[in-house]
Amino acid sequence: MMDLTQRQWVKHAVTHPVEGFEDMRWKKSGSLKIAFFIVFLLFVGQVFDGRLYGFQFGVPYDKTFSIVPYLVKSVVLFAAWVVGNWSVCTLLDGEGTMKNICIYSAYALVPYIVQLFVNVLLSHVLIRDEAVFINVIRIIGVGWTVILLFSAVRSVHQYSPGKTVFAVILTIAAMLIMLFLLVLFMSLVQQIWIFILSVYTEISYRFRV
Amino acid sequence: MNKRLKFLPLVLSGLLFLAGMSPAAAYADEPYDVYNYDRWGEAIPSQAGYTAERSISGRDLGAGPMDEPSDLFCDHEGNFYIADTGNDRIIVADNALEKTVRIYDRFIMPDGSETTLSKPAGVFVSEERDWLYIADNQNSRALVSDMDGNVVLEVGKPESDVYDQQRTFLPQKVIADKAGNIYVVLNNITTGAAMFSPSGDFTGFYGANRVEPTAEIITNYIKNIFRSDEKKASMARNVPSGISGFDIDGDFIFTCSQSVTQTTDTVKKLNAAGKNIFAGLELAFGDYTPMYDTANNKLMKPAIVDIDISDDGSINCLDRTTGRIFQYDEECNLMFIVGTKARQVGGFDTAAAVESYGSRLYVLDSAKDTITEFTETSFGAIVHEATALYNDGYYEEALDPWYEVLKRDGNYRRAYIGVASALLRKGDYKGAMKYAKLADSPKLYDKAFEAYRREFLRKHFGKIAAGILIAAGAVIVLKRRKKHGAAVTETEEKEE
Repeated sequence: MMDLTQRQWVKHAVTHPVEGFEDMRWKKSGSLKIAFFIVFLLFVGQVFDGRLYGFQFGVPYDKTFSIVPYLVKSVVLFAAWVVGNWSVCTLLDGEGTMKNICIYSAYALVPYIVQLFVNVLLSHVLIRDEAVFINVIRIIGVGWTVILLFSAVRSVHQYSPGKTVFAVILTIAAMLIMLFLLVLFMSLVQQIWIFILSVYTEISYRFRV
Repeated sequence: MNKRLKFLPLVLSGLLFLAGMSPAAAYADEPYDVYNYDRWGEAIPSQAGYTAERSISGRDLGAGPMDEPSDLFCDHEGNFYIADTGNDRIIVADNALEKTVRIYDRFIMPDGSETTLSKPAGVFVSEERDWLYIADNQNSRALVSDMDGNVVLEVGKPESDVYDQQRTFLPQKVIADKAGNIYVVLNNITTGAAMFSPSGDFTGFYGANRVEPTAEIITNYIKNIFRSDEKKASMARNVPSGISGFDIDGDFIFTCSQSVTQTTDTVKKLNAAGKNIFAGLELAFGDYTPMYDTANNKLMKPAIVDIDISDDGSINCLDRTTGRIFQYDEECNLMFIVGTKARQVGGFDTAAAVESYGSRLYVLDSAKDTITEFTETSFGAIVHEATALYNDGYYEEALDPWYEVLKRDGNYRRAYIGVASALLRKGDYKGAMKYAKLADSPKLYDKAFEAYRREFLRKHFGKIAAGILIAAGAVIVLKRRKKHGAAVTETEEKEE
């Protein structure tokens, strides 16, 4: 029973929100490769959503283009979630390893990514008055992903529903703290860099004379 | 110098191009960088709509030098009235601004006595009555006289409970509507312009500005709920800025206020009831992103000192901070930005008043004591023609002028909107989509796309329907075959 290929496991996990991840855990299945591919698709989807949206639904600011916001919205956000969840749940007697958290969370993102691509396509066919279809699809996609993420966290750590909610809240807090530290670190590096640069300039002026 | 050289080939080719097609190759002569705003509110280079022709001093008019003139008015006959404040007189110049027609400095009162002006700040001529209205600032009165200098009416400080008697009455600007009601702008009144009946009775205030809802005012409002009455009485009150200039156009009075701290109600279009027609629209006048003045360490926020409505309905707003005239069409879309702060012709020191006659613009500078005349360039003429047609709903007729505008300035966003609207009306939906995209206008694109989609579906409905049917059929057949195949292998396995 349940002799599925890795690809079929993705379908099974996504279409069975309640026990899909439990089955996966029971069968010790899930592929890191597919997980990374899904995150890559998330990145592509975010870029599509930002740049290729139908013109009638808003004008992209195309005087400058920076890839960084899209990376932050996909890869960085996902990494922060995985690391935050792992660090929180290790302390909360969670059974998931970093690898499993990564795989399960990535699988849970599939409806959201599908929603991104479908909406980009639809935005070129629909007009503004019909934007309600896009909104409905978006709500379904986001809601489904939220449910899947909840289920993923629950089964990867073998938590009760209440404890899962608690863990998710703590994870979000951990993500915020990480973000804060990251910004702090960046500004520190920047200042050190400016310091080194000014010392170098000063010295170079002295030597020139 | 380097910058000049870099642009030299461009300028040369541009000049060659212009020399071939039009005589007005004077665009490069503007003493400032001509700019306009794009959809994102960012300044981009543009073509000049007006060019400074000459500057006229009091001597040129043959009236002797002016001293801090503060108002300029062009009457229905084309004569210019200059309120020469420092010299206590009103200069009337002919339409070409070449010679003085008349100077008003003393008037005959109804009782036969003679009266002089003292620092007149505003002047207005009523078309209906042929009367001269003067804001006689230091005499605390507004004078109404006929064209021969006989005073018809003298309006002084109103003796009314509505008017705070402790306040002075120093008229800045005066205007009269068709019915003969007189409106007087006072520099110390924030509740609007004082309004007088044709017989000179005070009838109330007209067109007060609103207080801008800043964060400070909102927090004060919340705090006031808990404050005692004594505390409230000692607090600074939030009052809006007063009106600093106005112009009348048909049944509407346009006002402006020169407050740099306020951004609401800097320009208003008031109907007869004093209701602001621009109030609901999210409009900004003057520079969107003010420049930073490094010399004085402050932002050059717009201070709209005077407003003028051209014959074609364009709204000219004069910004004293930057010395620029911002010209808007009737719908308040920015058309041109003219002028600068400079010593050359076309630049101002303290711009005080703006006036228009036909296609020309006049700006009075109260520090340089001159009037600067701007004439429309050929580019400006085309834009005005296209805008007038577009605003009247003649989209298709405006198509050719808009194309011409785009030929000369590919950054002119209004032209893309105009072309897109015209093509949409014509039924060229594909072209309308293209130009709506260039105009960065999603709303227009949406309309064009809707029509395009409808047309596309109507044309290809047969093919699409056939395609869907074939695809559905193929899916059903494939599924059935798969099922059948699977069943066959299953039975085979069982047999084994």
